[in-house]
Amino acid sequence: MKKNATLKISISGARGIVGESLTPQLAATLAQAFGTYVGGGPVLVGRDARPSGIMLSEAVTAGLLSVGCRPVDVGILPIPSFLFLTKATKSAGGIAVTASHNPKQWNGLKFISRNGLYLNPLQTEEYLDIYHQAAFDFTPPAKYKNVQVRADAGEAHLRRLLDRFGSAAVKRRGFKVAIDCNNGAGAPLAPRFLRELGCEVVPLYCEPNGEFAHDPEPTPENIPDVCAAVKSTGADIGFVQDADADRLAVVDEKGRPIGEELTLVLAARHVLSRRKGSIVCNLSSTRALDDIARACGVKLFRTKIGEINVVEKLLSAKPKAVIGGEGNGGVIDPEIHPCRDSFAAMGLILEALAAGRRPVSTLVSSLPRYVLIKDRIEGSAERAHRLIALLKKRYEKAGSVSLLDGLKVDFPDHWIHIRPSNTEPIIRILAEAKTAAGARKALATLKSEIAVNLKKL
Amino acid sequence: MLKIGISGVRGIVGPSMTPTLVMDFASAFGAFVDRKPVVLARDTRVHGPMLRAACVSALLSSGCDVIDLGICPSPILQKTVRRVKAGGGLAVTAGHNDIQWNALTFIGPDGASLNPFQGQEVLDLYHLRDFEKAATDGLGRLSTPPESSFIDPYFDDLRAFVDADSVRQARFKVVIDACAGAAAPYLRRFAEALGFDLIPINDEPNGFFPHDPEPRPRNAAQTVSVVRAIGAEAGFLLSSDAGRVSLVSETTEALSEEFTFPLIADAILSRRCGPVITTYSTSRMIEDVARAHHCPLSRTRVGPAHVFLAVGQDDAVLAGEGSGAVAAPAFQPAFDAFLSMALVLETMARSGKRLSALVGQLPRYHIVKEKIYCPASRLHGVIGGLAKAFHGRDIDTGDGLRAEDKDGWVQVRASGTEPMLRIIAEDKSRDRARAKVDKILQTVEQMI
Repeated sequence: MKKNATLKISISGARGIVGESLTPQLAATLAQAFGTYVGGGPVLVGRDARPSGIMLSEAVTAGLLSVGCRPVDVGILPIPSFLFLTKATKSAGGIAVTASHNPKQWNGLKFISRNGLYLNPLQTEEYLDIYHQAAFDFTPPAKYKNVQVRADAGEAHLRRLLDRFGSAAVKRRGFKVAIDCNNGAGAPLAPRFLRELGCEVVPLYCEPNGEFAHDPEPTPENIPDVCAAVKSTGADIGFVQDADADRLAVVDEKGRPIGEELTLVLAARHVLSRRKGSIVCNLSSTRALDDIARACGVKLFRTKIGEINVVEKLLSAKPKAVIGGEGNGGVIDPEIHPCRDSFAAMGLILEALAAGRRPVSTLVSSLPRYVLIKDRIEGSAERAHRLIALLKKRYEKAGSVSLLDGLKVDFPDHWIHIRPSNTEPIIRILAEAKTAAGARKALATLKSEIAVNLKKL
Repeated sequence: MLKIGISGVRGIVGPSMTPTLVMDFASAFGAFVDRKPVVLARDTRVHGPMLRAACVSALLSSGCDVIDLGICPSPILQKTVRRVKAGGGLAVTAGHNDIQWNALTFIGPDGASLNPFQGQEVLDLYHLRDFEKAATDGLGRLSTPPESSFIDPYFDDLRAFVDADSVRQARFKVVIDACAGAAAPYLRRFAEALGFDLIPINDEPNGFFPHDPEPRPRNAAQTVSVVRAIGAEAGFLLSSDAGRVSLVSETTEALSEEFTFPLIADAILSRRCGPVITTYSTSRMIEDVARAHHCPLSRTRVGPAHVFLAVGQDDAVLAGEGSGAVAAPAFQPAFDAFLSMALVLETMARSGKRLSALVGQLPRYHIVKEKIYCPASRLHGVIGGLAKAFHGRDIDTGDGLRAEDKDGWVQVRASGTEPMLRIIAEDKSRDRARAKVDKILQTVEQMI
C-alpha cells in the first residue's frame, strides 16, 4: 500500500506533523513565498496555543524578514481575532500557525490576505507557484525590517464584539456560563468576553498552554467535563471552543451537548428572526438549515467544503447573506467579520437565549432535528476521486447527485456525502437522516458500496 | 556571497544567506550539542532578527532549549555559556565585517569558539543534512532571561579580575565608540563597574553603523575628535560584537590595532607567566614583550578556532591577534574587548603613565596590510604559485606563506571570511614593508 502523506499543502494552508514533515525549513520557505506574494509590508504572525507554535512562528518570522516584510508578532490569538485584526490594521496579510482541531502532534500554517480572509483557491495557486518555483524576492541587507510585537492584539476584535452584543438585553439576564477553551487560543479572551456580557463565568481549561485537556474536536464524546460543570454549577449554558476558537459546541442547561451541527442552526434562526437575508453553508451542513430557510422565506446557498468557499459565497450572495457557516460548529456573522467566529456564535446564541426567555433545551427542541453521522476511511485524495467516479455511476439514477465537492446524493428523506479531506489523507463519509436508524442504514449502504467499489480500484 | 567553514557560516545577507541556510546550520549545531541548551545572542545588525528567528526555530526543532540573550556582546555570551553550563552558544554577528554581512559563530561548552575539530564535526553534520527533528513533546523551550541575570555576573567577574580600585582612583575620562553595535547598551554598566568617566559615542544599538565596525585607525575619526574636544585620557573603538578593540591615545593619535595586544600583554603576563599564543599575521611587538617575561610564544593560523585550540593544548595564559583581539584564558577563553579595555586602563592607572607613553615603550615596527580580490576557487592555487616570489627564503606554510628576515616578515594568506588574499609585511622601515607588499601584489595581479 502507498504511504499516506503526512503533509498537506492545499487551499486550507499547510498542515503536517511536527518532527516529521513540518520542519522549520519548510515553514520558512512557505513564509518566503507568501511574503513575496504580498510584496512586503506588515504581515501579522500569530499562533494557537500548541507547544510547537513558537518553533514555527519563529521560522515564519525569519522567512518573512528575508523577503522584506515587517512581521507583527501577535502571539497566541484566536483565529477570528487574527483575521479581524489583519483587516483592521490594514496589514499586507497574515500567517497563522494553527492546526485547528487536529491532534497535538500536528501543526500548520494558514495564509490570510489583506482583507482578512483566507487565500481563495486562485490566490493560493498564485502563491504556491512562487513557492514551487522558489522565486523569492530576497531583500537586500539595507532594506531589512524589524519585528513588531503587538501585545493588545485581541482588543480590536473584542471591542467590535461588545459593540454588537453588549446590549442590555443580554447583560440584564446575567447568565451563568460554563466555558471550556481546552487550553487553546480562545483562552483567556473568551472568559473576558463573557464577563463583559454580564455573565457569571465557570471557566474550564482556560490556560493557553496548548496542553489539550481533551481531544480538540469539540464533538459530544470529547466534552464530558463541561457537561458535568454545567450540571454541578447550575449554569444556563455551556460552550466549548476548538483549539483556534473558530468553532463552537453548545451544551444545554441540563448538561447535554446539543450536537455541533445545531450551533449554526440555533444562530441562524436567531439572526433571521431579526433580519431577513440569505444563508450560506457548505454541502455537508445539516438539512435543518434548509428547513429554517424555507420557514423564514429566505434563500440558502451551499458551497464546496472549506471556509473560504463559504465566505466568498457569503460576500457575493444575492440577496445579501446575513448568516453563514458550517455544520462543524463554525458560525459566520458578517456583521463582525466574514469568518467562522466562536465569539460571534456565543454572542448570537446568548442573544437568542435572552430574547426567547426559555432555556436552551427548549430552544433546541423547537429546531428541526436530523441525525448526521460522520465517518472516515484511510485514503488519499487521488484514491477518493477514483472511488467517487465509480460511486457516481451507481447513484446517478437513485437520487439527486452533486459533484461540487466529492459526491453528494440527496434522497427525499436522507443524504450521503463522500469526499477527500483537505487537511488529512483521509476520505470523509457522511450520512444524514431524520432518525438515527435511518442515518445508520444510509451510512451502512454507502460503506458496503464503497467496499465493493474499492476492490475495483 | 557566502563563506562556509569550520568557524561557521558568514555571508552577505540576501539570496545566498537565507533563513533555510541559517536553519540548516543551526540544526547541525543542535545535533552537535545533542539536545543540551544553547545560549543565543546577536549584535545589532538590521538582519539580526531574521537570523535569530531562524536559529531559535531550528534549535527548538532540534530539541535544544534556547536561552535568548537578545542583543549582547559575544564575550558576555561566551561567559554565560560557561556559567549556565549550556551545551554551547550561538552568536549571530559578523564582528568587524561591514553592515551587509552577517554570520553564525559557534561556541563550545567551555565558552571558547569551536576548535577546528569541533567545527569540522558541525560542518559534517551540516553536509549530512540528517537533522534531529523533535516531535511535539520533545521540542526545546525558549526563554529570554532578564538582562541583569547575565550582565551583572559578567561585570562582577570582570571587576574581580582587574585592579578596579586603581582604575577608580585614577578617575579617567574615556571615550568609547560602540559603533552602534552589541556593546552599545552596556557601556554605562561597564563604566560603573570600573569607575571611570564615560563619554559614549555611537551608543544607540540600532545597527546603523556610522563607519565600518572594524577597530582600526581609518575608522577612528569620530573618536579622535571627541578625545581632543574633551581632553580624554583614552579612546576605544569596538567591533560590532565587542570582541576587538583599537585605541586612541590622549595625544589624539589613532593607534594601529596591532598595539592593543602587546600593550596589555604586560598586565597579564605579570599576573602569571606562561605560554603566549598569537597568529602568523601578528606584529613582532608581542615577541619582545613575551621575551621580557621569559614566556614562550607560538604562532597559529589566523582565527579563533586555531588560536583557542592552541590555548587549550599549551595551557596558554595569553592569546591575541593583530586585529585588536585579546584573550586572558584565566578570565575566559574568548576575545574580549571589555577585558582588553579594562586592562589598558589598569596598566595606565598602575604605572601612572599616559597611553602615549606606554605605546612609546613598545618597539616600533611598521605594518602594511593589503588585500586583493581572488576567486575563492583559486585562492590556494595562487598562494602556491607565489612560493616562487619568496625564492630562496625559509618559508613557513602554517598559514599561507610567511618568510622572516632580520628586520621583519612578510605573509600572504587566504582570508578566512572573504574571497580575498591578505598580504601583510612588517619591518623596522616603512618603505621596506611597503615594498615587500607591493612586490607580491604585482605578482598576484599578473597571475589573476
